[in-house]
Amino acid sequence: MAPVLPLVLPLQPRIRLAQGLWLLSWLLALAGGLALLCSGHLLAQLWHLHTFLAPSCPFAALPHVALAAGAVALGTGLVGAGASRASLDAAQYPPWRKVLGPLLVVGTAGGGGLLVLALGLALALPGSLDTGLEEGLGTALAHYKDTEVPGHCHAKRLLDELQLKHHCCGRHGYKDWFGIQWVSSRYLDPNDQDVVDRIQSNVEGLYLIDSVPFSCCNPHSARPCLQSRLSEPHVHPLFDPRQPNLNLWAQGCHRVLLGHLQGLASMLGSMLAVTFLLQILVLLGLRYLQTALEGLGGVIDGEGETQGYLFPSGLKDMLKTAWRQGGVADRPAPEEAPPEEAPPKEGLPEA
Amino acid sequence: MALLKVKFDQKKRVKLAQGLWLMNWFSVLAGIIIFSLGLFLKIELRKRSDVMNNSESHFVPNSLIGMGLLSCVFNSLAGKICYDALDPAKYAKWKPWLKPYLAVCVLFNIALLLVTLCCFLMRSSLESTLAHGLKNGMKYYRDTDTPGRCFMKKTIDLLQIEFKCCGNNGFRDWFEIQWISNRYLDFSSKEVKDRIKSNVDGRYLVDGVPFSCCNPSSPRPCIQYQLTNNSAHYSYDHQTEELNLWVNGCRAALLSYYSSLMNSMGAVTLLVWLFEVTITIGLRYLHTALEGVSNPEDPECESEGWLLEKSVSETWKTFLESLKKLGKSNQVEAEGADAGQAPEAG
Repeated sequence: MAPVLPLVLPLQPRIRLAQGLWLLSWLLALAGGLALLCSGHLLAQLWHLHTFLAPSCPFAALPHVALAAGAVALGTGLVGAGASRASLDAAQYPPWRKVLGPLLVVGTAGGGGLLVLALGLALALPGSLDTGLEEGLGTALAHYKDTEVPGHCHAKRLLDELQLKHHCCGRHGYKDWFGIQWVSSRYLDPNDQDVVDRIQSNVEGLYLIDSVPFSCCNPHSARPCLQSRLSEPHVHPLFDPRQPNLNLWAQGCHRVLLGHLQGLASMLGSMLAVTFLLQILVLLGLRYLQTALEGLGGVIDGEGETQGYLFPSGLKDMLKTAWRQGGVADRPAPEEAPPEEAPPKEGLPEA
Repeated sequence: MALLKVKFDQKKRVKLAQGLWLMNWFSVLAGIIIFSLGLFLKIELRKRSDVMNNSESHFVPNSLIGMGLLSCVFNSLAGKICYDALDPAKYAKWKPWLKPYLAVCVLFNIALLLVTLCCFLMRSSLESTLAHGLKNGMKYYRDTDTPGRCFMKKTIDLLQIEFKCCGNNGFRDWFEIQWISNRYLDFSSKEVKDRIKSNVDGRYLVDGVPFSCCNPSSPRPCIQYQLTNNSAHYSYDHQTEELNLWVNGCRAALLSYYSSLMNSMGAVTLLVWLFEVTITIGLRYLHTALEGVSNPEDPECESEGWLLEKSVSETWKTFLESLKKLGKSNQVEAEGADAGQAPEAG
């Protein structure tokens, strides 16, 4: 019946534990708040880019779980700060006595569980972004011309704005635009011989041209943007088709978006790791403080030494008692504490 | 007849001092906010000084920055004074400084009001600066090889994309200047030669616009060249086409952006000004209430606080008389000196 990981806590170390715990709790609240903000930002970015991410991509689960985990961490931090502050004041502690036990259980199970889940997702999900973006961008490119088809009429505007904002062109490069029809058939003259030739030149009857939309243009280029007839070098004086880098954006949108979202996910992951570490420390400290003060019978200013522990007895005995009492945890603790003080002292030299 | 007399007992005086102390610290925060607003406006003006010919007036952001700093200094000083006002010993050392300090506060409030008015009135000067700056910017659009002007193309393109605007007043401004550099023109082509011969200055003018004028919301791929030629494009009528290019001119777009920025800053500064006036009035009441404590040994006694000892007209008369006396006393001294010298000379 030895307590698990006991720690002797006379008055001064108890006070220092409470003060250190107060500081750690505020740090945890800060970390939880930052994780909350990070996941909110990621959620906003994903909402803006939802057209370019395939709906089957599970990446959107990460910010949702991280949001919940951050909120719970923030709550744990605030509770920890309040409890450690109250434990230094005899008048304020009694209402906390009853609440602390269930709060610790919720914090460990709920908060810890959510944080572990969020961390796991932060490590696993960014891998799925590759296929999600591939599919999503491919669909967006294919629907660029469908400005009159309900459901896809915004694809052109969103893709243009994406290319202008993120400085990219096409999926992997500007040549992607040569392989799809991005001019709506509504604006193609059926009597023009050139149009007819192009449509007949391929199996699917698509109007394919070696031109790109205006949003691929790079403003840093020294010459006005060359968008059309990019495969014919003789049409444009002084244009070298082997070096179109300055004329159009060189990067493909796939790589740019992947880097952007993966960067945000890794930042969120590191925030969650720090929060997890702080949460473990705060919960451990709170547990030790709680059990040490229970040992005094709730009288804070008592000069006597008490012992803080993680669990009053080993895991098996704990489960047996919990089973017998049907889950009511706190009631037997103050009565059991005095008779237990004698045997745990034998456990001290071992620990 | 004192102006707006209010009776103060000990408790009320203490509460006034404490309230003023709190308000002063909030006012320091407000001063920091005004400082950062001024800094933000200065940075925004600097960012686009290229299209304003580098001649834009920085008077408003500089004065906001100055006012923010002054407000921080004055209000923290006033906070210290209010904190010491509760202790007669400490207050005694502040006593002789309080009247000139209040006068400085009144001057500061007047200056703050003037700065607020300037925030709202700067629009007109900005408009003319923008008109000239944008015109020059568009003229230098093609000079990507000229050192000192090579960045103008990039600046104008990024400006038109960000502010969703085209040209100075509209996209037709691009028809009147040559925005394609001679370096990229094929002078052996007949079309190029015709265009250059068609105008007196020998410029290559096209009815086309740069790509940054294109509107992504248009249902059809952007039409940039031959904008006035309906037959050059299928199913196109340049007089009814609205979504193809940005309709706004960049001057109007930039002006509305800066106007809204300065209007909101003016509104915030006005609120801070009202707050400062309240603080000055409260400080004046505290000053006169503490002066009115007739028996310094008995801090519990009642006293009266007022804004001005006499009514406004009487105070103004006394002020003028004291100025006249100052002038007269100088005169008397000068006459006395002359009279003293005359008998000596004579």
